[in-house]
Amino acid sequence: VKDKILETLTSLRTYSREKGYLASLLYHEEDSSLMRFANSAVSLNTREHLFRLSITAYADRKRATFDLVTRLDNLDEMKAGIDIAAEMVQHSQPLTYQPTVPLLGDTFVDDSSCDDTLAKLGGQDKLHFFNSMVHDLETSDLRLSGIFSSGANTVALTNTRSDHALYFQTSDAQITVVLAHANLKWEVIAEQSAQQVSDLDSQDLRRQLAFLVERYQDEPAQQLPLGRYSIVFGPAATAEMLSVLDWIGFDGGLMKRGYSFLTEDQVGQRVFSDRFTLIDDPSRPETFPFRVDLTGIPRQAYSIFQDGIFQGFVWQQDDADEFGKQPTGHTVPHKSLVLQGGHEEIASLDELAGLPRNEDILYIPFLHYMNIVNPSRGIITASSRFGALLLKKDGSLFVPYNVRLTQSLLDIFGDRVEWLSRETIAYNTSQSYGARNPTALIVPKFVKVNDLEISHSNPSY
Amino acid sequence: MLELIRHEIDRLRARGATYVDARWVPFEQTNALLMWNGNLKTNTAARESGIGIRVLHKGAWGFSASSDLNSLPALFDSAFDQAQTASERLIFPVRLADKEAIQATFESPCQVNPFEVPLSDKVTFLRQMDELLNQAGVLQRVADLTFIRKKILFFDSEGSQIEKLITEAFASLQVSGQDAQGVTQERKFSLGRNGAHTRGWESIDSHLFTQHADRIVTELNQVLVAGECPKEDRSVILLPGIMYLQTHETIGHPLELDRILGYELAYAGGSFVTLDDFGTLQYGSQKLTVRADATLPNTPGSFGYDDDGVPCQNTVLIEKGILVGAITGRQMVEEANARAGRKIFAGSGGCSRATSFYRVPIERMTNINVDPGDDGSLEDIVAQTEKGIILDGDRSWSIGSNREQFHFATEIGWLVEDGRVTDVVKNATYKSDTLPFWNSLSAVGDASTWEVAYVPNCGKGQPNQIMQLGHGIPVCRFDKVRIGE
Repeated sequence: VKDKILETLTSLRTYSREKGYLASLLYHEEDSSLMRFANSAVSLNTREHLFRLSITAYADRKRATFDLVTRLDNLDEMKAGIDIAAEMVQHSQPLTYQPTVPLLGDTFVDDSSCDDTLAKLGGQDKLHFFNSMVHDLETSDLRLSGIFSSGANTVALTNTRSDHALYFQTSDAQITVVLAHANLKWEVIAEQSAQQVSDLDSQDLRRQLAFLVERYQDEPAQQLPLGRYSIVFGPAATAEMLSVLDWIGFDGGLMKRGYSFLTEDQVGQRVFSDRFTLIDDPSRPETFPFRVDLTGIPRQAYSIFQDGIFQGFVWQQDDADEFGKQPTGHTVPHKSLVLQGGHEEIASLDELAGLPRNEDILYIPFLHYMNIVNPSRGIITASSRFGALLLKKDGSLFVPYNVRLTQSLLDIFGDRVEWLSRETIAYNTSQSYGARNPTALIVPKFVKVNDLEISHSNPSY
Repeated sequence: MLELIRHEIDRLRARGATYVDARWVPFEQTNALLMWNGNLKTNTAARESGIGIRVLHKGAWGFSASSDLNSLPALFDSAFDQAQTASERLIFPVRLADKEAIQATFESPCQVNPFEVPLSDKVTFLRQMDELLNQAGVLQRVADLTFIRKKILFFDSEGSQIEKLITEAFASLQVSGQDAQGVTQERKFSLGRNGAHTRGWESIDSHLFTQHADRIVTELNQVLVAGECPKEDRSVILLPGIMYLQTHETIGHPLELDRILGYELAYAGGSFVTLDDFGTLQYGSQKLTVRADATLPNTPGSFGYDDDGVPCQNTVLIEKGILVGAITGRQMVEEANARAGRKIFAGSGGCSRATSFYRVPIERMTNINVDPGDDGSLEDIVAQTEKGIILDGDRSWSIGSNREQFHFATEIGWLVEDGRVTDVVKNATYKSDTLPFWNSLSAVGDASTWEVAYVPNCGKGQPNQIMQLGHGIPVCRFDKVRIGE
């Protein structure tokens, strides 16, 4: 199939050249399947196999794109699409800057992150995985929800300036399992990201669920008083906040447009805790990486924050073109963000709960419906969900109703960070909007931040 | 093609499937243009076609979709096999509420097909808007247009055959600038349904957009020099630019029946509403009447027939504050009635929709509308407000996982003191618990304040689906709401 894809792109490039077009061709293929569970049943079992071609035509400073869902063997349709894009660009408006059509210096093929076994997992495999995971945990009151999404994702591109092409293929799976009480409305969650089939571990998920279920069943939930808390964030919460940081923090284009809380003056300055080191590391296969960006720039580990010091904004090609900057190899569907672990030797929630402590600690594994209240100040808001716990200083713990946190990322990742766990984990942040784009960040399993304000506390679920 | 699809439906029925439907989309076109500070950053057209097959077998759903129509039998078999696997973990076998077999067509109102309008005309419109927005105080200006046109042919094993042609037009303007503290402030305008407008290119009314371009620039400049929103309790008066989202997030989503039944628990969340609440829950004050009205002409929430093949309806959800209805499709009403042990729902509310041929239909909002009230105009409501704040423009929104509480930030606020508008404030926010909030509804504006806002991008489901819908909303006032946090 790889050869067929590359041959097809070559044919389309030849066609474009013969017609005198300047064009780039981006091919995307996904073979996706998703089994969804709700109320302890399989509520949906889907498979979609889709081929997309995105054609961008250029004429001087003008640019236009035509996208189509097609078939790999339908060359006529794809050529017609190229003609449409070429026609569109004639009626476009020139940009104020010259858009770059990159010259790809080499053909780059990377299918090392594709595990066929994972990509082709069938419905029976998924059913067995879930059944073994929740066996004995599920009851008539405690119902299973979740998803097992898996598939193969292929991206390939070339352009009429280049004799070369880029090809990326990866396999991925995203597993979410929720046990929800039918009447009391509480829910606990365990999640897993997989790039190869050996990453799947149903018993690890089972252990996480069992720990939380026991606490939630035994401890009646209580409303937390408003006020300031020491909070330990789980991997989902940390990954979600880093995803927002990726957006309104160090993206050069958004900074130039006024939607960042960091400024160019802060490059080289310490803006976060000296415990905070964030890199974009495409050598980590768990992040479904692009080791070359879509303009052909080789990607290597790229430091964004080192010991809290801001190393600089990242620039994708189009923003770099517009604002006169040098692209940094970040013209990619997603980065490979890694928040480095710290020194705290805590590898599980069980260990966290058993840690001696001289204060109450609120554990928030998951932040629901995060939104940006004020991008210029980095203020986000979100609610806790899925298995929060209050770890009392006397060693006991209780279950809190959900609470709301409205706080600046400058505070959350600033000097209030007390520790990060040594152990890290890949957390899958893939969205299932539009085309498949498997995405994961590597984050410490636990991050402790002191003195954060809870601004709203639910009296019930 | 039609014969082939019917043949395959019959074949799967003969294999033992309880129900089969197919949505063939011969074409779905989109055209999106976005001009940012004079640069046409987005100039994209797209076209897709394909078919989605849904099979109910042994009480479970299977679904399969492809853009390749050359192997229909394999595609139908794949959906059947998916259902077969799904049936191995089954608690509540799927049953579908009764409906008529319908042979029908529907075409959304469109005078000028936007896909027949020259690209140069669209670019000219955006350039005009960009020039209008390019004024003092404005650092970033954005104008965008999005058009969708799709044909959907629906067939089911109950004898229905429905053909739909839907055209949508969305457009918005946005400006932003930075205040003295370096904080970005913004104002925007989005096209809604004004009067009897249709949804083609003709709805892109330059005169209307020119008026709003001037307004949002003026208001942005007021915000840029305004003081901070106070942190205190006040009456909040929500204008349509935020009232639509309040309705969407804290009435629309909590009343999706699949959510209430726990089908979104692993992702989007649940609902504080239970089946016991229907007919009894005091959702809001007596001034609150809400309906899911998919018969309202000329909005994205009206589509003729849903993707279960059920005709669009006008269903009351909340009547004088009491919860009486939900957003429903064929599957969920049967399950809800059975679980409740009583007939809460008489039948499907016709709200089952899929965003594309490769997604499965789920309960979606149509037009979730708050009926206009009898508390007069905005000016009348302001005159009757002792200490309040008028809020407009969505800036951020975050809602609890059961939709039980929320936090919203708005683009602009106008303080109201003793019945008079005083100062503009910036960085306005408000938050509350859903039920106390709607029960604090103390004034509902009359028809003069009622507008239909379009929502082009409501996300729900796994795999996720983006849906277009509408909200008809009046100006509303809520008392003793926390602002400024």
